Amino acid sequence: MPTVQSDVHSLLPALLVFVPTGAGILIFLLRRLSWTREALAFLASLFCLAISIAASISTLKGQCLIALGHQLIIDSLAALLVLLVSAVSFLVVLYCPRYMRHLVRDAAIPHSTTESRLTIFYGWLMLFIATMLWACLSNNIIMLYVAVEASTIASGLLVAFYWDRRALEAGYKYLMLLTVGITFALFGCVLVYATGSSVLGGSKGLLISELRKVAASFPSTTVALASAFLIVGFGTKAGIAPFHPWLPDAHAEAPTPVSALLSGVMLKVAVYAMIRTVTLFYPSFPPVATFVLALGVFTMILGDLMALAQDDLKRMLAYSSVSQMGYVLLGVGLGTSLGTYAGLFHVVNHALAKSLLFLAAGAVMYSSGVRTLSEMGGLAKKMPVTSFCFFIGALALSGVPPLNGFQSKLALFVAGAEAGAWWAVILGIVTSLITLVVLVRAAKNIFWGKMPESISVSTREAPASVCLAMLILAVLCLAIGIYPQAIYSPLEKAAGSVQTIFTATADTVAKH
Amino acid sequence: MTEISPKLVHTLSLIMVLTSFAAVEARNLRHATVAYLCQALLICGLLAVYSIENTALLYWAVTALVTKAVLVPAFLWRSTEGVPNESRSLIGFGTSSIVAILVLALMYVFTHAHARFFVQSGTYQAATPSTLLSIAETNLAVAFTVFVLGLYAILTRRDAIKTVIGLCLLENGVHLSLVSLAPTIRETALAGISTEVVVTVWLLLYIIGGIRDKFGTTDTSKLSELHW
Repeated sequence: MPTVQSDVHSLLPALLVFVPTGAGILIFLLRRLSWTREALAFLASLFCLAISIAASISTLKGQCLIALGHQLIIDSLAALLVLLVSAVSFLVVLYCPRYMRHLVRDAAIPHSTTESRLTIFYGWLMLFIATMLWACLSNNIIMLYVAVEASTIASGLLVAFYWDRRALEAGYKYLMLLTVGITFALFGCVLVYATGSSVLGGSKGLLISELRKVAASFPSTTVALASAFLIVGFGTKAGIAPFHPWLPDAHAEAPTPVSALLSGVMLKVAVYAMIRTVTLFYPSFPPVATFVLALGVFTMILGDLMALAQDDLKRMLAYSSVSQMGYVLLGVGLGTSLGTYAGLFHVVNHALAKSLLFLAAGAVMYSSGVRTLSEMGGLAKKMPVTSFCFFIGALALSGVPPLNGFQSKLALFVAGAEAGAWWAVILGIVTSLITLVVLVRAAKNIFWGKMPESISVSTREAPASVCLAMLILAVLCLAIGIYPQAIYSPLEKAAGSVQTIFTATADTVAKH
Repeated sequence: MTEISPKLVHTLSLIMVLTSFAAVEARNLRHATVAYLCQALLICGLLAVYSIENTALLYWAVTALVTKAVLVPAFLWRSTEGVPNESRSLIGFGTSSIVAILVLALMYVFTHAHARFFVQSGTYQAATPSTLLSIAETNLAVAFTVFVLGLYAILTRRDAIKTVIGLCLLENGVHLSLVSLAPTIRETALAGISTEVVVTVWLLLYIIGGIRDKFGTTDTSKLSELHW
């Protein structure tokens, strides 16, 4: 049954955007008071987490929070994403202080002091988080594009943060490819709006909640063209193959906390934008769903094969993210309620496990100063917490029970079987085995065996704040794996929000 | 109420395609910037002409003037200082000309066959429908051509600054198509779209400045630190 939600006017959606934005601006303004940086970032992200929890509770009660005249809404789907973004962001901010100070001091970036670089880092980080939250909340199809592009802009300087040859190359590719890709999405959004407003009249055609009611009456040429543009556009941002070349560069060259955010949540925000827009056309034009499914399977396989060939730890994790986004698309592309549910479940699990892996990789690089797998080894004794966390993340992503990745992959395969897409299920299982090989081999290389001489004997476990952030994520991965019932209800409601689109448009089809 | 003259629209549109082509083809980056400036000014001119029928478009014309014709060229001008010529491109002038002509012809045929349901009836209410439809179709054909030319520049030019000019053309193409596709769009959305272009261009040029410092060139084929 689709979920019926009652609209409630609320300040929460607006606060979620304005608080981190305000914190970002304040960090730039108060750059002389260096102690305020970390404090502001911490308080703002904690505040966002609290608001997200409050908003999620409201949506579980069947409410849909709206603000600024329907421009921002939190329904069950948005609530899930907002909670994910703010939770991962909070843990990343918790991880940052010791880590960034250490790295910025060692990076020797010309023409700037450690303090000024840290101001740039925290300021843009908060703006990046704000734009991602804004993208999750936007109900206006054009502003959805604006928010997604704004998140690219806000993270551009973070990707190029180290300002060396590799970081600059990654930053240029990141900004250029994503902007071109997103411009395609703008074209798609404009086509949907143009056709929608000729049916709805005026600015109502901008609101996704209104568009879903009439999407079925769109001519099929427009639907085909618009969905192609939207899939290319948001797909580029979500790291879907073959539009993914920016991703490994950006994720590997950005400072680790930023990589965790890029991989952990930014990709999800892009997939969310895709779900919001492209699924509008599923009922009236089923080939769109098939196309998404095929693209998902292709991405899933390609990502893992590329990950197999990597020696750079972060680059390997980045390619693994490409592969996991393929799994999410597999679920969404099935076009069934269970498929959407499983896709969203995997969104949550990948966000937690991949952020954990990136943060653990960062801890390894922090302590050992090495970034390639072939130069690592035997760190388990020196870094027991990091080693435990990395193994949890690796096994979770590979779908080993009793961890969270197992639950969502199982749901994905059941959904695929139910929809009759056996080929996708078989390829999914095979790819899962490759994931296991890739990640466990990496974990073995880093933590077991003999420690090479290039790593200093005095290597120690990462600082407490770094370990705390990782441990929380590891516990979440375990908890969801052992007791998945805890998040069944929010997931069902979120999948139900997408399902409402199906039902609403199916009704319109019937009327026509 | 005065009507839009189709002749004027056609002439301005044609000159705009030519300036876009010049911006892509000029080997001297400063010349390319000037060609881009002319292209942006022509867009403002076209928007001003369309605003005869739909006064809301006057606001668009002003926004375009500030963002596309003042800020972006100023950034480009500053960053091309001391970089007179672009690095060699992948495809030469002859082939580019053929591509440009083919794209324009193709888009003209496409829009005149399929654009009818894209075009919003509210745009040009006052004048006779057939003239207006023809103007809208021409506008879309030109907008799509500029879009494709921008994409072509990004794909085939090796110089990083030239790819930024390509990106600007790409965005201008989308912006121009909005006139026919979404004339009733809210000012906030429009301001959002325009501001993002300016900020993106500024950021890209800032990073390219860093690339020039570290690599000693803006030739993207020399960016080879990161392989697949």
